[in-house]
Amino acid sequence: MLPILLAFVAAAIPAGNPLAIRAKTAWLPGGRVLENAVVIVNDGRIVSVGANADIPEGAEVLEHDGVLTAGMIALHGATGASGETSDSTRTAMPEARIGLAVDGRASNFEALRRAGITSIVVTPDASGVTSGTSAVVRTLDGVVLRDPAHLSLVFSTAALTPNREPTSRSGAIAMLNRLFEDAHGVVADARAGKLPCLFEVREREDVIRAIAFAREHKLRGALNGAWLSGEMADAILQSKLSVIVPPLQVGTSKRVLDAMARLSQDGISFGFGLDAPDNHADAMRLTAALCVRAGMNRQLAWQGLTENAAKIAGVEARTGRIERGLDADLCLWSGDPLDLGSRAVTLVVGGVLVDVKGAADTAKESH
Amino acid sequence: MILSNALLLAAVTAASGGQDAQQRPWNIHVEHIYTGNGRNLTKGLVVVSGGRIAAITAGADEQSDRPEDTLRAYAITPGLIDAGVRITSWESVEQSREVTPEMRVADALDPFSLDWDRQVKSGVTTVLASPVDRNVIGGLSVVVKTAGPESIAERTVKADAVLRGSMGSDPSAGNHAAFGRPTDFYSRRPTTRMGVEWEWRNAFFNTALGLNEKDPGRATLVAALQGKMPVFIQAWTTQDIRTAVFLREEVESRPEFAGAGMNTPRFVIDAAAEAWKEPQLLARSHTPVILPPFPADGRTRDGAQMAWNVAKVMKDNGIPFALSSHGSDDVDQRLAIQAGYAMSGGITFDDALAAVTSTPAKLLGVDGRVGTLEVGKDADLVLWSGEPFQPGARVLATIVDGVLRYEGWSAVQGAAVER
Repeated sequence: MLPILLAFVAAAIPAGNPLAIRAKTAWLPGGRVLENAVVIVNDGRIVSVGANADIPEGAEVLEHDGVLTAGMIALHGATGASGETSDSTRTAMPEARIGLAVDGRASNFEALRRAGITSIVVTPDASGVTSGTSAVVRTLDGVVLRDPAHLSLVFSTAALTPNREPTSRSGAIAMLNRLFEDAHGVVADARAGKLPCLFEVREREDVIRAIAFAREHKLRGALNGAWLSGEMADAILQSKLSVIVPPLQVGTSKRVLDAMARLSQDGISFGFGLDAPDNHADAMRLTAALCVRAGMNRQLAWQGLTENAAKIAGVEARTGRIERGLDADLCLWSGDPLDLGSRAVTLVVGGVLVDVKGAADTAKESH
Repeated sequence: MILSNALLLAAVTAASGGQDAQQRPWNIHVEHIYTGNGRNLTKGLVVVSGGRIAAITAGADEQSDRPEDTLRAYAITPGLIDAGVRITSWESVEQSREVTPEMRVADALDPFSLDWDRQVKSGVTTVLASPVDRNVIGGLSVVVKTAGPESIAERTVKADAVLRGSMGSDPSAGNHAAFGRPTDFYSRRPTTRMGVEWEWRNAFFNTALGLNEKDPGRATLVAALQGKMPVFIQAWTTQDIRTAVFLREEVESRPEFAGAGMNTPRFVIDAAAEAWKEPQLLARSHTPVILPPFPADGRTRDGAQMAWNVAKVMKDNGIPFALSSHGSDDVDQRLAIQAGYAMSGGITFDDALAAVTSTPAKLLGVDGRVGTLEVGKDADLVLWSGEPFQPGARVLATIVDGVLRYEGWSAVQGAAVER
């Protein structure tokens, strides 16, 4: 164990020695709720889930008088790779891999853990028409769960600069078309449907262009960053693209919140971005709570933070749900996690127990 | 004469604008039907069905009409067509090179821009949207409706309708010589009018001689030189108008172009403010023009002088001409007002109407669908409170593809679309 982690890792359970978490309530996939849940973890994975289940001999037992959930997955951010998310010397660098730039020991992962986030999709900067591919990184130890995870494609004016190609939207689209007409490497993978794309959008017009581009080149993936994407729910639903809800704030306009609420009403697959470390790690849970307050389906909002986020990140076979066989990426909350009065108490990442409450105190002391 | 007065109906059932707007039948009763092709009717009825004009009749009986389908106004004209619109500014022109024939302005248009609404409210239903003139050859303009689905593709009347470029000083603005300051992106040709014309000729000759086989813009240049796609060239001043016409005549006469079968380009001079100085040249060369907005003091861009009678001079010399707003978003430079100015410069109402409807439709190659009131054409209609283009007349309503997209009755009560 690295020294920096020692301060807040309560206990690393040795392989073969199971951990039993007995929680008053557990939130299971698909919105099912299990009372008096017992989740057994062994060798980093969930080995059983049941109500009032027997606890195996020799297991460490963790009693929790609160809510046990899957750990949250932040779909957009730069934690561990701040300042490394684009190469400004090139407009199109599809083969650049941010997964190779992530510092798994970066101190600002701690804030993510404290917020109940067990994985984050570290994404290239939305500058140039493509700055490369994203990677899914575990917040405990920087373990890369998936790399490349998405090919980033930029449809907002962030792709444009006044002193190199492209200076115009027409030029940016032409450049992207050239990239896909002569596809190789990750671009060819994206065109073959093997690699999802991350469509960086901002304005509604960007969403329209991204959808048209995805249709033309038969791409799949998620739209990130459009505050009003919900106003184009029909077109997005037809495109089968997912939506990453950007971080919102108290005071975000009703129009934006209404648009976000439409995502769940219209059956669009969605998750939440964080854009950490620029945003506070709690901003993602706050965003989901604001969306729920505006009318977003509560259960789908939670799935957007966990199991559906895992799908959008392409790691649903490993994490995002309390389910036998998956990585033990879990969070123990003091209460309902969509209630902002609740807080993460303990995190389990890959079977490793992390006392995030203690971490908060430690952070305060060391400050 | 304003017909309406006091006949406002409280219950308005039709949705105007927005995503939910539906095509529906309309019976439009007016004092005057101005068709745009010179055949005008009085006390007439225009019937709209399925997004198209279904019937045009004089003296129709309106008793049988369903009130909710009925509109009344003083006059009706075809939806106006502005061949000089810019919806998107710098994002529409790719400045990494000076010659970018393959760039599509359609990729840069914002279907949500408020400019569309402003066009609709002033009676404009079809526009040619072009890149901003900062390149010698800027790219492909697109003909689109000003209202409809929130998608440029679905509103497109004609994609890649026109190859757009410019003479004069605009394309060289911002470029500079490589000495005396740090070398950057804009250390490049052209820095003068002469250089701008050289770039045109260079692009054309390279195309005819097959020297640009790998250039993504080649196919567009071939289509332009073969006359399959018109070339709209901005040229405000006399010397730029002459340069453009002489360039075309050079293409028509040089063996390099004839040998390659690329000697029949079609040029339209846009922003031809000083066309009044060169009517014989334009007539002799059969070159249509698009006029920019009339300036208050006679001075336009590029130091050009625009006379009030420029439209009259074009008419008298048999030169096809259209009026335009040339991308202006000033309220006093709207297309309908330009038609009024052109009338004050000496042309008739019918000629002014043609210059904002049927003539631009022909120049853009979309006259099969829009530009005149004829049965079977798109139901793009403007309802007026008085004689169109007169200062006292307002647009009461604008219909695009059979959908009521603007209804001005609530703006000023008493002079309204009557239901």
